[in-house]
Amino acid sequence: MDLGFWIISRYLSRVLDAIADPGEFTMKQIKLEQKILTRNDIIAEQVREIFRTRGIAVFNMVSSPGSGKTSLLEVTLEELSKDLSIAVIEGDIQTQNDAKRIAKTGVPVHQINTGGACHLEALMIKDALENFDLDSTDLMVIENVGNLVCPSAFDLGEGARVVLISVTEGDDKPLKYPAMFHTSDVLVINKMDLLPYTDFSVKQVIQNARSLKPDIHIIKTSCRTGDGLEDWMDWVRDFVSDSKSV
Amino acid sequence: MEILDIVAKAALEHGSDRVKSVRLRVGDLSGVEVNSLTFSFDAIKGERELTGDAELIVEKVPLKVHCRSCDRDFAGKGQYLTCPACEGFDTEMLCGDELSVVDIEIE
Repeated sequence: MDLGFWIISRYLSRVLDAIADPGEFTMKQIKLEQKILTRNDIIAEQVREIFRTRGIAVFNMVSSPGSGKTSLLEVTLEELSKDLSIAVIEGDIQTQNDAKRIAKTGVPVHQINTGGACHLEALMIKDALENFDLDSTDLMVIENVGNLVCPSAFDLGEGARVVLISVTEGDDKPLKYPAMFHTSDVLVINKMDLLPYTDFSVKQVIQNARSLKPDIHIIKTSCRTGDGLEDWMDWVRDFVSDSKSV
Repeated sequence: MEILDIVAKAALEHGSDRVKSVRLRVGDLSGVEVNSLTFSFDAIKGERELTGDAELIVEKVPLKVHCRSCDRDFAGKGQYLTCPACEGFDTEMLCGDELSVVDIEIE
């Protein structure tokens, strides 16, 4: 049979069917305007609510591997655990190494080993909470897996996200990892003592970070010399008292 | 997949057993890679008879920025919130991070 004839006869057949039963062709458009919340977002809101009802301030520390998250956390705990009741969740693919370092400060800590996942997720945080006495906690710090990519997409129920860059990493890092900087509240520029030995431009990294998050708070630190640590401690103290007043 | 859950629920609530199309709004800064999303959608839509033939339509929302210094709205350059005119940071995002199901067409 001629192809053209076949096509036309099929078309006519559909038209005749429509005339016979117009209902077959009724299409309805249903307006939804519904945000797509991933399962992680839903659990993150549950976790956020758990922290909120107990008046616990929470921040999530993110960075490349080796920027100094654990070192900054160690000095923070040594200074602030006298006045604040702090708990820590450590995230790594493997080893208990970071939790052991934190445990030396006397602060309660739980290590999550993801086994293979390159980021923490809200469900991991929710499950980890049973390891703590939340009623007596003022501040929870989550140290994420070292990675500037995937953690940006996973809300952990935190109140603030703190991204670290060390001066040995390159001042164009924010431009290379925009999602992380779009979603961060604080940038800590760490290892400032090594600045003379690098081509890192503090002015440039700040400009790059602000181009993604105009109101990002900037703090420059060296855990080795102690420079800038008071600014960091002030931010943490203000963050805790602001969280409690909400 | 969350999109299929939203769509299936809405279709069933309106007494339909066939979804013809799904329209999404995806902002430049939503973090969604549209090609991957379309690929995944087409790969798994057949898991339910309801959505087996559904066409995915994506409305992209470009980044739009308001500069408080210039008191003007601008199209954002790439993913950057810097004002394209004065290169300042006194800006806010007006749109560009959306990720939602706008509507569905059902029989």
